[in-house]
Amino acid sequence: MKTDKVTQQKIIRDVLISLVLYALPVILMLLSFKITGQRPWKKTATTTVNKNA
Amino acid sequence: MIQYIEQIFTHLNTWGLPVIMLLIGIAEFAFGLYENQWTKNERILDIVCFVVPKVVVRPFIAYVGLLLFPVFLPNAKNIFAWVPFWWGFAIIAVGDDLTQYWYHRLHHQLPWLWRFHRTHHSAPYMGMAMASRQNIIYTIFFSQIYLTTTLVYLGLGYPVLFVTGIKALITTGAHSSIKWDKPFYTIKWLKPIGWVLERFISTPATHHAHHADSDDDGVGHYKGNFGNMFFLWDVIFGTGIITRQYPSGYGIKHYKQEEWYAQFLWPIFKSRKEGSELAPNGPMVGDAVPLEKEVINRGLLTESIV
Repeated sequence: MKTDKVTQQKIIRDVLISLVLYALPVILMLLSFKITGQRPWKKTATTTVNKNA
Repeated sequence: MIQYIEQIFTHLNTWGLPVIMLLIGIAEFAFGLYENQWTKNERILDIVCFVVPKVVVRPFIAYVGLLLFPVFLPNAKNIFAWVPFWWGFAIIAVGDDLTQYWYHRLHHQLPWLWRFHRTHHSAPYMGMAMASRQNIIYTIFFSQIYLTTTLVYLGLGYPVLFVTGIKALITTGAHSSIKWDKPFYTIKWLKPIGWVLERFISTPATHHAHHADSDDDGVGHYKGNFGNMFFLWDVIFGTGIITRQYPSGYGIKHYKQEEWYAQFLWPIFKSRKEGSELAPNGPMVGDAVPLEKEVINRGLLTESIV
């Protein structure tokens, strides 16, 4: 038993739309960084050294 | 306050959700919402499907993931931990739920996959009893578990905690036989909220339609309404219908009350019920078999009835 041709075509079309949807939040995030000038990946963990110890 | 919310979601993802499901299940049972359809075979199947994934499958996947990720992606641990919370939340909500939409949709639209998902649809009732009901293969390959586990390893564990918690509440509510969405269709000032809600997330009305035993009465739509947390995917892809009504019957028309072990473990164990989709020589999709042929196969009638 096979999937009918119309369903197959809809699946292919919707998979292509899905690729855009998957990428959308990542693209919007990068766009927001570009607009605001934020560079959160450059933040490194800072260690405070207590010199009095 | 944030710590308090964090605690709620931490517990929700461990013992909280099973407890909520048990409490709602007890309420459903007390209100007689299963209408004596919860036979011994259905009871065993529902309980096994509720317990085994939580006790065996998920711990196993988490264990294997913890073993494999450091081997195959040794430098990738927490590589995306810098992603701000709300962006992480959006990335995971879309990534997780869209993947599940596809996993679910393909099990309905590709005939060779249907029998792995059939167990979830064979229940002739809605409610907490059947919400976890799945074939073991469907559960093991539940694709978004792997995606989510990967994202946790990559450093998005904190937003995952909240997405999975909210998603569990929405999908549990959509399966419940308590129709919590009804006030949004009947009370005037709530109707605009209802309009947005039913297009955005799964509700009892839209998800019950997906579990209907009929697709041609204008209410039931088991050939669509595939969304789990978000109904939005069905709106975008045109696979959904919204009627604000609830189906008159649930399950599958050609259900033969197959043995619980066959429903849970097919194709490892098969059904002895003649003509069943789960029998050794059964059809791949039962409702694709013309009624005439099916009845003749059962030896009940030898003349055409269609």
